[in-house]
Amino acid sequence: MKSNLLLAALFALSMAVGSMLGRNLTFLRESEAFYRWIIAAATNQRLFQDANPEYQDKPLFERVAAAAEERLPEVPTPDDQAQAKLVRAVAEPQYQWDVWRLATSPALAAERADFLSYARTRSLQFATGIAYAEAQAGGVNIFNLFFGFRKVAANFVWLQVDRFWHQGMMQRMIPMMRTCVALDPHFVEAYLLGAWHVAYNVTASMLPTPPADLRWDPDYKACIGNKERYYYWAIFYLKDGIRNNPRDYRLYFDLGYSIYSNKMKDYANAVKYLQEAVRVPHDRWVPRMLYHALENNGQYEEALAGWQDYQKRFPESLSGTETAPRFIERNKGLIYEKRGNDAAAAAEKATDPAVAAQKRAETKENRDQAREIWKAMDDPYAGARLLRLQALDMREEGRYLEAIGLLDKARWDSADMWEEASNLIMDIKNQANIALSVSEKKALLRRAEAVQDCVGKPAAAEEQTQG
Amino acid sequence: MSSAADADVEQTDRLGTAPGFGEWFRGPWFIAVHTWREGIRKKTLVGFLILSLLTIFGASFMTTSLGAIDPTAQEDLSLKLIKDICVTTIDIFGVLITIFISASVVPTEVENKVIYTVLSKPIRRFQYLLGKFVGVQFIVIVNLVLMGGLFFMALYARERVWPTMLMWSIMLTYFQFLIISAFTFAISCAATSAVLPTIAGLFIYLIGNLTEYLKDVASRLEESTEMMGKLVYYTALALWNVLPNLQQFSIKNQILNAPIGDPPADVFPIRLIAYGLVYAASGMILAYWIFRRKEL
Repeated sequence: MKSNLLLAALFALSMAVGSMLGRNLTFLRESEAFYRWIIAAATNQRLFQDANPEYQDKPLFERVAAAAEERLPEVPTPDDQAQAKLVRAVAEPQYQWDVWRLATSPALAAERADFLSYARTRSLQFATGIAYAEAQAGGVNIFNLFFGFRKVAANFVWLQVDRFWHQGMMQRMIPMMRTCVALDPHFVEAYLLGAWHVAYNVTASMLPTPPADLRWDPDYKACIGNKERYYYWAIFYLKDGIRNNPRDYRLYFDLGYSIYSNKMKDYANAVKYLQEAVRVPHDRWVPRMLYHALENNGQYEEALAGWQDYQKRFPESLSGTETAPRFIERNKGLIYEKRGNDAAAAAEKATDPAVAAQKRAETKENRDQAREIWKAMDDPYAGARLLRLQALDMREEGRYLEAIGLLDKARWDSADMWEEASNLIMDIKNQANIALSVSEKKALLRRAEAVQDCVGKPAAAEEQTQG
Repeated sequence: MSSAADADVEQTDRLGTAPGFGEWFRGPWFIAVHTWREGIRKKTLVGFLILSLLTIFGASFMTTSLGAIDPTAQEDLSLKLIKDICVTTIDIFGVLITIFISASVVPTEVENKVIYTVLSKPIRRFQYLLGKFVGVQFIVIVNLVLMGGLFFMALYARERVWPTMLMWSIMLTYFQFLIISAFTFAISCAATSAVLPTIAGLFIYLIGNLTEYLKDVASRLEESTEMMGKLVYYTALALWNVLPNLQQFSIKNQILNAPIGDPPADVFPIRLIAYGLVYAASGMILAYWIFRRKEL
């Protein structure tokens, strides 16, 4: 009897301890879901500012961010971003423990409870990829038991996507790709390959939509045609991936480099996402792509600083000894050219002859320095830049045909110069009243159409240029 | 002087009056080793193990059907496929092995009447149970190590990086199995054949994963004013608090995708290990409570 009582007491005690531990674990799981949602919502706030009024993410995040202001340590504020402290802290991996402590703190108990209650009623847009929140939303059922198996199911769905690709059934791939990431929101490869399939393979045989045929799309908030629709699909697909996996550089990289830089030539957004890619742990080649995007976006000083830093960090690597010095020189040359162009533009505008003369001298000095750099570099791009500078001199001297000849050679010598040299040729032809070729006329027509608003664009609507 | 005293102590131990700490564990240890030897000969377990090893091995070749894409992307995709399939395989076959072995060790000895010979030796029933339970754990651990080892090899051959988070994930899987094993073992102590405890073990696995349903029931009935509603509410809440919740271990799948230094990935494992150990202790106490009254 005595030993029975003792055993019963021991059993009850161990169950009680287990229950206490279980309650603590449940609290931690709730906090973990809350923490993951904070990261997703903060990432959205910093990069996309998507705010669907049907969901409660925005008001709840505002409450959490307000509570975080006094509870988080000081977080440096970047010059160009006036974001909440919580948003800045989430962006920097070294503050992740502070954000975790905030998510588990008793001070945010009300927000945490509201988060769980919203998750149960599916009122949170950014909680869809969080396992615990999803379980709350779906009610607890037998499916929970097999949550781990959903990942395997996602893999088999992906194998089917791959099969469709080989069969050329691109349109059937798209819903399957959605299913795949719905089953496993952390399937980063599905986001990457899916976006690549849609932006590259599906659009491979499509021509860019002429500006006159572009239509306003209220979902994407952009003027798009058939081909561009796929680009935006890929962008939104990758953004979804970023919200679910905000610490994976590959998603930022593909969005910035593969889509914005390579496909859309939108270098401002390319720079934005490549800067995010280098903020989290990344491969060594990622910063190099950022510096290229900075250069393409005309941010030569930042590109130069980046390459110099890269050279210091990897002095032994091939890219540190060969690539970086070449691009350092290239950006130095471009900086001088830019200064020369700015000075030339100022000289043209100047009404005071003395100022004009000073600006012309400045132009010459900068262009001479750029020439020195291009001569020393001795590669096709540098040679083409040299030809462009010569063409500019000839243009000023009124030797238009010779200038056009040099620019024509420059654009064939270096593919990087094609667009710049072609535009300059058209400008010179217009200036000198030289007849334009048919393709040049079409190019100018397209340029004129592109500035007009597309069909269906509401008067108050602003195109989504912030990515 | 000292050698004479030592001889006295040895004599006392041989008489079985006051066995030392090491001596007390010797019996359970031999039983554990014997259980392990017997367990690895079981055809069902070997069958499960071979099937799981084949699945893990086969996962490495599944991605060969994928078409030509960027080699880096193909490699990442292959790794993901291998990880997911292997983790799930270890989960499924691991739990089956755990249930089958935990359910059969005691009833088999009762059926074979071996237990009478063992208990006629100077060994307590608790020592016998402890030995059996430890033996079961040896078998479960060795199976997990074999499956996990092959999995690691498949990953290491591709990544050349030691998969630390996977190791944690497999370790947490073991502690989940420990809870299932302890309660299945407790039920097997009341049974005379392995069939009932095996079915019970599968139910423990199912119910353990559906414990959160009780919380859902409680939250739905929280506002209820009816007597029956209140009764169900309190019962559901009490059971949710007391019963082991195997879904707590679901974090083991999430930490696989966690970034470096992710706080939840650091916070959970130790607590989950403690959770597994405490409920395993409950299972063992229950097993002894049942077994000590069993007529043998």
